[in-house]
Amino acid sequence: MDDLLSEFLTETAENLSVLDVELVRLEQNPNDPNLLGNIFRLVHTIKGTCGFLGLPRLEAVAHAAENVLGKFRDGELEVTPHAVTLILQSLDRIKEIVAVLEATEAEPEGDDAELIAALDAMAEGRAVEPPAATAPAVAAEPDQAPVGGDAADPLFQIERPLKADEVSLEDLEAAFRAAPGPDQAASAPETRPADSAEDEATASTPATPTDAERQNASVRSEELGDTKESAVASQSIRVNVDLLENLMTTVSELVLTRNQLLQILRSQKDSEFSAPLQRLNHVTSELQEGVMKTRMQPIGNAWAKLPRIIRDLSNELGKKIDLQMVGADTELDRQVLDLIKDPLTHMVRNSADHGIELPSDRAMMGKPEHGTIRLNAFHEGGHIIIEIADDGRGLPTEKIRRKVLEQGLATEAELAGMSDQQIQHFVFKPGFSTAAKVTNVSGRGVGMDVVRTNIEKIGGTIDLTSTEGRGSVFTIKIPLTLAIVSALVVESAGERFAIPQISVVELVRAGGQSEHAVERINGTPVLRLRDRLLPLVSLRKLLKIESADEAESQVGGDRSDSFIVVTQVGSYTFGILVDRVFDTEEIVVKPVAPILRHIEMFSGNTILGDGSVIMILDPNGIASATGEITLGDDLANQEAKQQRAQVGDQVSMLLFRAGSGAPKAVPLALIARLEDIDVSTIEASDQDMVVQYRGRLMPLIPFDHGFYLPEVPEGETARKPVLVFADNDRSMGLIVDEIVDIVETELKVEMAAERPGLLGSAVIAGKATDVIDAGHYLTQAYHDWFGRAKETFEEDDAIEALKRVLLVDDSPFFRNMLTPLLKIAGYDVHTVDSASEALSLCEAGERFDVIVSDIEMPGMNGFDFAEKVKTDGPWQDTPMVALSSFSSQRDLERGRAAGFTDYVAKFDRDALLNTLSHTLADERGAA
Amino acid sequence: MIKQAANSNRPDDATRVPGQGSAEHVDFVTMTIENQLFGIPVLQVQDVLGTQRITRIPLAPPEVAGSLNLRGRIVTAVDVRKRLGLVPRPKSDRDMSIVVDHGGELYSLMVDSVGEVLSVPAATYERNPATLDPIWKSVSTGIYRLQGKLLVVLDVNRLLDFTQDLAAA
Repeated sequence: MDDLLSEFLTETAENLSVLDVELVRLEQNPNDPNLLGNIFRLVHTIKGTCGFLGLPRLEAVAHAAENVLGKFRDGELEVTPHAVTLILQSLDRIKEIVAVLEATEAEPEGDDAELIAALDAMAEGRAVEPPAATAPAVAAEPDQAPVGGDAADPLFQIERPLKADEVSLEDLEAAFRAAPGPDQAASAPETRPADSAEDEATASTPATPTDAERQNASVRSEELGDTKESAVASQSIRVNVDLLENLMTTVSELVLTRNQLLQILRSQKDSEFSAPLQRLNHVTSELQEGVMKTRMQPIGNAWAKLPRIIRDLSNELGKKIDLQMVGADTELDRQVLDLIKDPLTHMVRNSADHGIELPSDRAMMGKPEHGTIRLNAFHEGGHIIIEIADDGRGLPTEKIRRKVLEQGLATEAELAGMSDQQIQHFVFKPGFSTAAKVTNVSGRGVGMDVVRTNIEKIGGTIDLTSTEGRGSVFTIKIPLTLAIVSALVVESAGERFAIPQISVVELVRAGGQSEHAVERINGTPVLRLRDRLLPLVSLRKLLKIESADEAESQVGGDRSDSFIVVTQVGSYTFGILVDRVFDTEEIVVKPVAPILRHIEMFSGNTILGDGSVIMILDPNGIASATGEITLGDDLANQEAKQQRAQVGDQVSMLLFRAGSGAPKAVPLALIARLEDIDVSTIEASDQDMVVQYRGRLMPLIPFDHGFYLPEVPEGETARKPVLVFADNDRSMGLIVDEIVDIVETELKVEMAAERPGLLGSAVIAGKATDVIDAGHYLTQAYHDWFGRAKETFEEDDAIEALKRVLLVDDSPFFRNMLTPLLKIAGYDVHTVDSASEALSLCEAGERFDVIVSDIEMPGMNGFDFAEKVKTDGPWQDTPMVALSSFSSQRDLERGRAAGFTDYVAKFDRDALLNTLSHTLADERGAA
Repeated sequence: MIKQAANSNRPDDATRVPGQGSAEHVDFVTMTIENQLFGIPVLQVQDVLGTQRITRIPLAPPEVAGSLNLRGRIVTAVDVRKRLGLVPRPKSDRDMSIVVDHGGELYSLMVDSVGEVLSVPAATYERNPATLDPIWKSVSTGIYRLQGKLLVVLDVNRLLDFTQDLAAA
């Protein structure tokens, strides 16, 4: 049976039984307004639901009854026993229809015209004599309604003008024919559907069950006998939620006790208790599951209100919004459901109000007029993921940035170091709203932070990704249930702690025989994990549980082996260093005592299977305590930056060893040659080392400052590998210890370096590698290596962030050649291979300080690109430099006409750098 | 057990506040710390425990010794010695605890030993001497003069509210 229908049946059956009682009470206290109000409401509910479900017969009867009740309520009509009887009759009729409805899932055919007419007459205040047979005895008879109508009906028909929304004359006539005589009426109600079906003329009900079905229905109904109780209703009962909660708590305790027993059993082999305990174990598990199920509800229940909300919002805001709901039948604990209902509603409202644009705006942006909000719920490993996605305007990073500054939530410097995602996460801060004006709907600034708090309260996480102009996706991850969570039990410094499984991504064993080793950067532990550096947090240090004697034994270094619990909070992944890992256990989260609530490292405590109390770690608290105040994180940040910087570009890196520590790497594109130079040929010139190289003097720079020429014993030759950097007629050599390899890799600088000469560390060929800043060494050899470009840059270096350059060129060769060059000159370079891709970046909200574009490109050429950019849009004022192999005067003019600020020949690297620095300097001057 | 015994003996005392009782006697569960006798109104006492296995709670206030499992309920153990600013006891010594209810939560007050239930004459009540240590003064509601010794009445609410002291410190 349709869920909706069965729910309706259950509810109606309940309402009807309440009504029976209430009506009788009403008869006794005709002037009790509360009672009347309640009755009216119940009948109204029935009517409303019928209308919604498309049950015209039920609706008509309920409507008429409601009319009369309305008059009662408003005091226009006196409550008389006769009136009450009439109402009771209509209730009986409703029950009767409901009974058939339950059996056949369709309304029985038949007609209620007389009953309705009687009710209407009553409503109109005409004193209608009680129908002949309305004695109490008949009232008990479920199907007495039309009885005695014979006398009264013609009267009604003549006297009463037909109301617009009432039954038509034809229907009435049909009704007369269909109306069973007194004899038939005396028979059981369930025979009526069959009876009326015989009369073809009455076939006006929308759903016409087949004869067989009707027969079945009759039979089944007969089996039910005269009971008015609905079978569906009797199969489900409503239970007070508190009762279920208590049951759940009790089961939770039972689970704990079971765990304790099992623990004891484990230590005692061959116990006589083992068999019954196993049984107890199973039964408990089943019981737990069963009780959990009673609390499970489809998430669709929380969504039920949303279509209406969206409809109303669309009208109010003049937007066109499609609401798509996927996975509405995903079930979750009702407690969780209740807690996420409001946040969800809020977020959908937000999407509709702030996210989706007006149809005209959408049309302008080339989007379909209809905005889409998509809700998607699904299970994923013991959690429920709910996504709320819209294709609206996305979060305005700039606006948020301004607002953050305005509200003093972060300084400009802090913001400069943040990724767009991190900035967007500010919407989760208290009191934050970017809505330009407060609407009816949202923008009061009490929004997303409450949503986040509510979700985190139930152990969930919320994350967002948003692209300006494209829309936003909010992802909520919540546990299936709150009462019992699965947790990983770990030990640190002899103390045990539980970590909720929801946050645990994986376990890594470090040290000893393991392939993973904890490495340290200035004492800060990190772990290489699949080509990424994972920041580590030591639980001992974090919780300050290192006792004195332990600390002493630690002096020598780390323990030989330890475990790392890789934990994820939002998009921030970090590792928690622990000594031991036990198994996972189902635990019942209990709140900590009020005097301990201020410790944000713990989300609660619990009793383990062995009866000991254990604290539950709160990964959110740990994440924020270890410096990640915002939800976004370093790694995500850097990844985002890198993604911006080079869209998955493979770079050839030269690996070498020099000095101490990690292997070093430098982009191969920068290196002209690799030379092996005889140490004895190195000469000194004005304190600098030089070597005669191809008829010129080439300055040599040792990688290590402390480098000194090795003493070469007589008769032997010592050779040193040298990386030769060359530019036009200048070249310099970097002395290294050993050239290791050349690898193709994605250059992802994961940790910025403090030390000059290093860009940072990256994982290359599976090892943490220092990427050297070639520019640093080049300028050591020739201070004016980069000409004025570098100088200009250096002047502002301290106060300004890297200038962002967008390089548009269809040739991978040039992109590869220019990217390192520009990077070394101190620019943050982003490359794309076509004008259209560049424009989509523009749309996506990326901003650059200068655009360098090729002219000859497939698709949109450089001139068109420049024109397009300069016409309007956010890049209107961004200076553009044309790059072309053709640099005739005519080209130059055409370029300027199109909007290029300058025009550079493709192979003239110095010219390009000069132009860039000039252009940017001009911009600054103008600004 | 103690509570029940006390109740059956003297049900009238149930409503009495120590020190202000109109009847002649007030009942206290007595305990000793560093040879000093303390008392807690008998009706506030839920349970008396021997030495328990206690889970340390990192980062908790120093007075909080940890938490323990009392028949399925998690009880926060408070070291009364520390709370009163006394030196800690040698670890080897056995201790006892009095479990009290505070705002619906159970707390276990760790003391050296728990004595009997004393019914003391209300007339022997004295206010705290003005010269008493400020910490002691803040957690005590007064003194009873007993034969040969003095009984310091501990106010459980104030004893467990050490957030103010922390803030002040």
